[in-house]
Amino acid sequence: MADRAVSEEASMAGHATKLASIPASDNTVWADASPLLEAACRGLRDGELIHGDNFNLFAAMSALEIMDPKMDSGIVCRYYSIEEAIENGAAPIPISLESTIDVQCTIDIMDHLLACEAAWHKGHSLAQTVFSCIYLLRLDRTASHALLHSYCRVIRTTCKAVVSVVSDARTHEEEDLFTMTYGLPLNGDGDEKCLSMLNAVEETISRQLRACKATSSKRRVSEDLEPLQSNTNLEEGLCKALLCRLRFRKHFFHVLTCMKRPQGRGLELARKHIASCILELESILKSAEFLRFCSDEFCEDDIEDKTTASGREPIGFDATLNSRLSAPTPPRAIKILSWKKAVEYFVKLLHDLDVMCSYSLDPHLESLLRFVVQFQKSQPDLVARAHLQLLLVQDGKLYGRDPIFAVITKAAALPEATKNHDIQKNEYIVQLGQLVVNLLKILCTNVAWQRRKLGKILQDWRVIYVQLELAFRNEFGEVSSSSNAENICMKIFQHILIWVEEQTYWIACRFLILGFELDLYSASEYCMVYWYLYAVLIKLAEKTHLKTAFSYDTAKRKGKKKRDSPKDLARESRIPPAVLFLQCYICLAEGLTMMLAALRNEIMVLQSPSPFNTEQEKFVQHFELLQRACIPDHVSYPSFKESTTQARFSTLVMYNYFKDAQRIAKEVKSSFSNDPDRLAELRRLEQVAEHNSVALNLICRVGALDPSLKVSFEFSHHPFFATAIVRRS
Amino acid sequence: MEASSEEKEEKAEFEEAEIEYVSYGGEHHLPLIMSLVDQELSEPYSIFTYRYFVYLWPQLSFLAFHNGKCVGTVVCKMGEHRNTFRGYIAMLVVIKPYRGRGIATELVTRSIKMMMESGCEEVTLEAEVTNKGALALYGRLGFIRAKRLFHYYLNGVDAFRLKLLFPRQELHPSLPMSTNVYAVHENNDLDTT
Repeated sequence: MADRAVSEEASMAGHATKLASIPASDNTVWADASPLLEAACRGLRDGELIHGDNFNLFAAMSALEIMDPKMDSGIVCRYYSIEEAIENGAAPIPISLESTIDVQCTIDIMDHLLACEAAWHKGHSLAQTVFSCIYLLRLDRTASHALLHSYCRVIRTTCKAVVSVVSDARTHEEEDLFTMTYGLPLNGDGDEKCLSMLNAVEETISRQLRACKATSSKRRVSEDLEPLQSNTNLEEGLCKALLCRLRFRKHFFHVLTCMKRPQGRGLELARKHIASCILELESILKSAEFLRFCSDEFCEDDIEDKTTASGREPIGFDATLNSRLSAPTPPRAIKILSWKKAVEYFVKLLHDLDVMCSYSLDPHLESLLRFVVQFQKSQPDLVARAHLQLLLVQDGKLYGRDPIFAVITKAAALPEATKNHDIQKNEYIVQLGQLVVNLLKILCTNVAWQRRKLGKILQDWRVIYVQLELAFRNEFGEVSSSSNAENICMKIFQHILIWVEEQTYWIACRFLILGFELDLYSASEYCMVYWYLYAVLIKLAEKTHLKTAFSYDTAKRKGKKKRDSPKDLARESRIPPAVLFLQCYICLAEGLTMMLAALRNEIMVLQSPSPFNTEQEKFVQHFELLQRACIPDHVSYPSFKESTTQARFSTLVMYNYFKDAQRIAKEVKSSFSNDPDRLAELRRLEQVAEHNSVALNLICRVGALDPSLKVSFEFSHHPFFATAIVRRS
Repeated sequence: MEASSEEKEEKAEFEEAEIEYVSYGGEHHLPLIMSLVDQELSEPYSIFTYRYFVYLWPQLSFLAFHNGKCVGTVVCKMGEHRNTFRGYIAMLVVIKPYRGRGIATELVTRSIKMMMESGCEEVTLEAEVTNKGALALYGRLGFIRAKRLFHYYLNGVDAFRLKLLFPRQELHPSLPMSTNVYAVHENNDLDTT
């Protein structure tokens, strides 16, 4: 029916001109459908909707309003196609016939590309950022302009390498927009030679720089070399500005290549290139003053938002040309990062990569977990995190080097030889290995997504524990066997079981703690969170202690020593430092729980009466994933109420948990004298304990019911243990 | 998307009792809702988006009028989601001169009450982590911040998924009916700011 209507319309006068303006191709003939649409509109009343099998109200929400620039990605903003843009001089080659301007504009393009690249890394699509550059979209055109050509090639190759890293590390939707390269010319012949091209250009400019310096000191240089551009006053500054930009790209590409080498073999070399990158970025920043100065269009406007060092708008960019390629989302105007912010981004990225490259690739899982947690505190972006994940997990092995079963046996404090044991073929042990790999990958994702995932995997860790325990019982029953081989098997199982529990509680702790860092808890919920954290920490400490005790036991049974030396006995009876560390946490968690509970019980503060639900619903929601996995057992809202309804300041001051925390922190410091991170943490814990102890005493002295007393909780000394701030109004 | 309620110049003068709350009544309300939302939010919603909500769940959308002028609106839906019957607050807007007086709270409260009476087990929405006003409003109503959504909005801002879980009758045998829980608090001043 539509065809008939269209052909009717097509025969009407006045449409011939409209049709002629849109070129027909082999398979398309254009016809003006406006009259048809108008008739359809007249046939519908307000509020009526066309129904279809696949077009209901829900589907209708995805409808686009044609010609609405926010929704219609086919809208022609300026140019219909890249070719039309080029024909209209949007990306001239050379950029200017005047060599000085050509060089200055080339630098602007380089700067804007850096800003685009940073915007891409930060979460926008490649199509709207780096590939808004017309020169990049038609790279072959630039062949006659060696500088622009080699630079663009390196950009393209770098982007491809980064897309590859992020794709390989793919865990979830965060990477989707980043890796979308559909329709973009990311592959080019000869791209692997891009560095040699860049080197050639760098070499030429270096010689030009030497030549202009020689001329200025009145020494003749017998070189048949043309200067970079025609203005002798600007030659040195422009050469230097170009060189640091070219060198940065070269070193950055090397960083990526080195870090890609398996088993961390290229990390040391990567560090050298990172250092060079940072030096070149410093030079790039310094070049800004000169570039602004020699720009004809010097403007008073705020330079902070500009995407180039010179402050000029770059030539050759149009983000709308790709709008049809960057589907499925309609194009939104995105803000490219300012040039300054882009440089800052790359400096941070390089620092994050440097931290990774300096890591000792410790085979101990416990140390690795602490490293990753510490690393995440600097809030690394996607590209950094993807690199971390690929460093940690390659070919299903830790650092591409250590088989996961070996990692587990080490973590479970089993003797070195255990890593070859046949038990690794057990299906549950294999599954456990997969859980470990999965955990490492999760720990490299952004913390918001990470927390949700950590909550979900608790169930998996609980299940594997149950399955392993069942397998263990089936193998060995209740009676201990006399066979040596079976004894070893039993030992392995026991160690692994304890370690699995320990690891599960560690995950649960992380889940609760991240809630503070992500600001998921309101002050009226702190009490229940600290209480739950306290319950989980107790179990974690218990399992850690058990594991250590077991390992001494196993070492003894292995029997290198015939007799226990006094030192051994003393070591056994002492609480291991790792456990003491946890006990410090436990005291703080308990102290905060009780103080918050007392505040609520006595002063009725931090209550949040809601018209629609009670505290119980909030408890159920916050801890749903933990409860479902029974972590820990016998923990519920009624038991929370039971533990806290009797809290009063009069009793708290007598059983001062904060004083206990202070004492333990002080005691355990000497055991961590070689560990600056843990020492720093202990100092922070001492601060929290001290301030809360003082607050507690103040509240008791003044009297909890004094109306002038205002108590609030802030994270001034520690990211997840709050400090009570007491104010008198 | 939520409209934030910060302190503003040009406050309208009115008594809370002067505000008239009306349930969505038909096509004549649609342009009022659309113009309020379009003016406050940057997302381009087509008319179909509005129709989807108000046609399928007219009882969940409310408008606030002052002297015949529409000053606020809330648009919601509800349905089955992974074995839970759940309400969703899609849009909430109060025009600037009328903010900070409890109108948004009242609009949302009416909608939530309707959801509760319709058998919803929970209510959810997303809000920017920087939208202090919305977070405080929903916090007072019993929502928790269930999840943080990384870079949820196009400007790179994260969002919180806010969730309100209604009490389940079997857990509270001693409590009055859930609708009466609301009634008990009706006399209290819910808007303490």
